[in-house]
Amino acid sequence: MKDSCSSISQLLERYFDRQATDEERSLVERHLPICQTCHERLTLLEELRKAIKAPVDEALKEETFPWVWEKIERGIRLGKKPSWQESVRSWLDLSPLLRKKVWIPAVATAIVLALVASPLLFKKTPSLSAPSVVEYVESQTYNVMVYEAEKAKVTVIWLFEEMEGESTTS
Amino acid sequence: MKNKILSFVLVLILFSLLPSLTLAQVQTRVRVIQASNVGKAIDPSLRDLHDQLGSLFNFTSYRLLRDEIVILSPNQPASVSTHKGRSIEITQVGFQRNIAELRVRIRRDGTDILNTQVRLSPGRTVLIGGPKHGEGVVILALSANF
Repeated sequence: MKDSCSSISQLLERYFDRQATDEERSLVERHLPICQTCHERLTLLEELRKAIKAPVDEALKEETFPWVWEKIERGIRLGKKPSWQESVRSWLDLSPLLRKKVWIPAVATAIVLALVASPLLFKKTPSLSAPSVVEYVESQTYNVMVYEAEKAKVTVIWLFEEMEGESTTS
Repeated sequence: MKNKILSFVLVLILFSLLPSLTLAQVQTRVRVIQASNVGKAIDPSLRDLHDQLGSLFNFTSYRLLRDEIVILSPNQPASVSTHKGRSIEITQVGFQRNIAELRVRIRRDGTDILNTQVRLSPGRTVLIGGPKHGEGVVILALSANF
């Protein structure tokens, strides 16, 4: 019995650590009910484990490990890059601007000015290449000739001495 | 950053609209020239007109008698005396982009001898000539800048 107890005693720690084979575990479990010493030793080992585990579990519960969460979040961010559509949408997001009400009168003023000025801006005007135009010319004293030189960009209004009793309006 | 860009764009829009809304002033240059066939002198200050004058007239001499720049406000006539009791009165009666409409009256001793209205753009010249002066004729050169 003593030999058996001695050999079991060597297996007890392996049994406690769950590293024993099926055969060894069977040996130990048959021996424990008949050996008070080995039973007490196993009980002691269990109490010792409890004594060590309890404060460690308590410390783990209290510790939130912020650095661990930061690392996880960083990993998530790096792993999920936004698409270009999301980037553009984010860039065009006007909500922060709209939250500032000071922009509302400025935008309204710009719109009103644009509406007022649009007829002027889009009014069809002669191009620069068009010659200067004499809209009308009249003289009670002279005969008048108008000549427009396109290339030289010159318009000539020439006055001739009037014939007696003649009046010219063109 | 986005706010700065948007505010910059708004300021640009406002500044681009302002010139269209302001009353336009037209700077008009009036040059009184005596053209004749006496001598072959061409006034140095008429160099910019020399080619135009040479291609249009057969005069050999061009002398600058008067050179005036008048700032024309809308419907505000400006008068420049030219020669021998004659004067030219110019009124800006209209303004579109790049084109100023000017009413021109030439007076002699208080009487109109010419009434005309021309559309003038930068880089263009209107020459009004013909009345005799000395041994030649007088030519008025009008050009605008705005």
